Amino acid sequence: MTSLRRYLAGLSHEMTPDLSWVKTANVRSELVSGQVGALLVIPQAITFAYLAGVPPVYGLYCAVFVGFLASFLGNSAMVGGPNTAVSIMLSMSVMPYAGRGSPLYVEYVLALSLMVGLIQLVIWLLRGGEVFRYFSPAAITGIKTGVGVLLITSSLEGALGLGSVRTQFFYEKFYVVISGWGDLVNPCAAVISGVTVATGLVLKPFLRRTYVVFAVLAGCVIGAGIYLYAGPVASNLELLGHVTFHAFPFMIPNLTAQHLQFVEEVFPNAVAIAVLGLAQSLVIARDLEARTGPVNLHKEVFAQGASNALAPFCSTFAGSGSFNRTSIALEMGALTPLSGIVAAVAVVVIAWGLGPLLTYVPMPAIAGILAIVGIGMIQRREIVPLLRNRVDGTVFVLTLAAVSFLGLEAGLLVAVLSSVAFFVAGVSKVQLLISEEDGAEHIHVKGNLFYASFDRLARHLRRSPAAHTVLDLSHVPFCDSAASDMIESVQKLRARHGGRLDVRPSSSPREAPTNAGSTEGRT
Amino acid sequence: MMQTVARVLCALVVLGVSVAAAARPTIEELKSRKVLDDYEANVVYGYNIVTDTSRYAARYVGNRLQCSNCHLQAGTKPHAIPLDVEGLYPKWRSKNGVRNGLGLRIRECFLYSMNGIMPPEEAPEVQAVSAYIHYLSEGQVIGRLPPGARVPMVPETGEDPNPARGETVYHRICAACHGPDGHGTAAAPPLWGPESYNAGAGMNDVRKAAGFIWANMPVGNENSLSPQEALDVAAFLHLQIRPADPRDGRLRKLMERLVHRVSELFGATQ
Ligand code: HEC
Ligand code: HEC
Repeated sequence: MTSLRRYLAGLSHEMTPDLSWVKTANVRSELVSGQVGALLVIPQAITFAYLAGVPPVYGLYCAVFVGFLASFLGNSAMVGGPNTAVSIMLSMSVMPYAGRGSPLYVEYVLALSLMVGLIQLVIWLLRGGEVFRYFSPAAITGIKTGVGVLLITSSLEGALGLGSVRTQFFYEKFYVVISGWGDLVNPCAAVISGVTVATGLVLKPFLRRTYVVFAVLAGCVIGAGIYLYAGPVASNLELLGHVTFHAFPFMIPNLTAQHLQFVEEVFPNAVAIAVLGLAQSLVIARDLEARTGPVNLHKEVFAQGASNALAPFCSTFAGSGSFNRTSIALEMGALTPLSGIVAAVAVVVIAWGLGPLLTYVPMPAIAGILAIVGIGMIQRREIVPLLRNRVDGTVFVLTLAAVSFLGLEAGLLVAVLSSVAFFVAGVSKVQLLISEEDGAEHIHVKGNLFYASFDRLARHLRRSPAAHTVLDLSHVPFCDSAASDMIESVQKLRARHGGRLDVRPSSSPREAPTNAGSTEGRT
Repeated sequence: MMQTVARVLCALVVLGVSVAAAARPTIEELKSRKVLDDYEANVVYGYNIVTDTSRYAARYVGNRLQCSNCHLQAGTKPHAIPLDVEGLYPKWRSKNGVRNGLGLRIRECFLYSMNGIMPPEEAPEVQAVSAYIHYLSEGQVIGRLPPGARVPMVPETGEDPNPARGETVYHRICAACHGPDGHGTAAAPPLWGPESYNAGAGMNDVRKAAGFIWANMPVGNENSLSPQEALDVAAFLHLQIRPADPRDGRLRKLMERLVHRVSELFGATQ
């Protein structure tokens, strides 16, 4: 009963927005980082809407509404909203059922997003966030670095005006670009993205907070120059286009029998998207924990689920936490959810005020920002220490390779598996210190004793049934019932053969086997 | 033996093609269907773009026209630039971003006729219109100009088009619908001004415009203009102020003019 009550109290605590940051937030740095975040999210939102196959304005709605809800309901500086992997998976799931971009397709995307949000809420009720406590920091760095590599390669198309080049692995794209340089690359696009990236990289050491803004501006100025000089036909530049924004796109999503049938058919995809979105968000949250202090993972799971379930009611699609926008926000001094909230509001202001200007923002400049962000996510000072450690190095390299070669989904899976594997390996390591004292053998055990780890100890104890052994468990934090059973059975075995096994209890009283059984046997 | 097999195969293919052509569902039928495959959904989306461009392709549109203002009856009316012309272009699906004739043609109408932004080849809007054009072109012979394609040639009148006479024709017949200032009314789209097609558009070509007007205007009383009247009014439209041709780089024109001026000045002082 009390555990149920505790569970329910936890749920209601996680459901109520935690506004304690109101008092502690450094409002100025959060405002600046929120506004830069808005500038950054607008082009990304439009790109990701395009990836998801829905009209560009839906991406903005996602940045505003999903971003706002995720920050408002959450308890960390994580920036939510439209996300590459989620967008791609949405479009891959819906594509077999409706024409990309058609009205039916859009309705399906919304229905699927609703489903994803509901599944995430179920995961929240089941305390699924626990799993992510086992993520090792090495795996998180591996994912971050891999996402950086993916961002750089995926920005190549837009940056060089390639059109869509489909390759199996990321490095092939470089090969295609280099071998087909003359035919494929649009020089105007390459100049614009080159100027954007160069400006960003040059300014980064001096303007840690605002270099992205200047990089975009430089790209836009060069782009405008080229566009005006050569004209739209000769320059063949891809532009952002008209951004229309209705203030309150609230609606009830269309859910007829046809939509429900569709949702039923893509249910496995919905689960995959829900898990993928959560995995990304929680990896970010774990990363944040190391930098800004404790984060309640369950609360973040609730925030993600609720914002995604509400997304279709704001005419938009599901999102998740964003690696790159969160890292930019952190770099500019954000510590609380306030920056995410400011970013969401600022998107509205910018889209209204700058809509006509945004029309002519060249896409290569936007691709350039993605490349800068990708470069920024590959951090030498995080990677080098990992490589010095054998276990961390292996986990890091494995996840990095999986993300860059097989994509983020596979990378998250490898990260989970390898962190769990090394966690188990670490936990089940048991040290036996064996010494002789007054004719009795003393075994000092260090480590956890449980079904997977007591094998060596059991073999050692069974080898000489007639000996007298003192088993010192004072450095055993955890001992499960299988291990206690094993110890008891050895005690019985010794009693039969005239030997003895004395146990010094473990420091944790609840799970330790006691001496009671054996003393009773002797008296 | 091989020949018979080949002949049977040919017959089957022909049969299949004719069955497919006969069974082509109308847009209304497609719209009322519960489940559409990728191609059919794209066809419907393409139809929506052609008939309600400013809503379904807002990202790339720069004026108040719809595709169907010129491609009349959603691109099905003969002699009004019908869109059943896929056979004149390479195939529907573009692979690996290789420029494909039809896609480029669609993108050009966005840039010139819609005075907008050129969408990329892979834009869903372009793919959808391509699908719609493919749908309209089913059953046509590849490479042959379909009957009623484009606009008719106005017969030679032996006289040059005269914009002054065209102006009186315009105010006598066209202004009732298109407005005395040509900026359009609720009944008809704008013919010039900032919300119309730009100077690079096909409709800004006097011969093409004359053919279109001769065959299709005024709505409800087509073919009532004489060839000479059509040419005159087309020449009048050609002289009106409209958005500039996007092929000209504005900055380059400015610089060329500056260089010209400077060299003239130098020429004058020498
Ligand atoms: C202002 C009138 C106008 C509008 C609006 C317009 N077009 Fe056109 N379109 C033309 C003219 C004129 C031609 C050229 C006919 C020719 O070359 O003989 C043309 C040609 C085409 C062709 C090639 C037809 C052929 O016979 O080869 C396609 C395809 C096309 N347009 C698509 C579109 C699409 C899609 C839209 C809407 C986004 C659109 N057009 C809007 C006037 C217009
Ligand atoms: C009865 C009203 C009416 C009259 C009179 C009329 N038009 Fe139109 N016109 C229309 C309508 C309606 C359309 C759009 C067709 C559609 O969307 O189906 C149109 C379209 C056009 C277009 C192509 C679209 C555009 O805006 O560029 C041209 C060119 C045009 N008209 C020229 C003329 C000329 C020249 C005259 C006079 C000879 C004329 N029209 C008289 C109703 C009229």
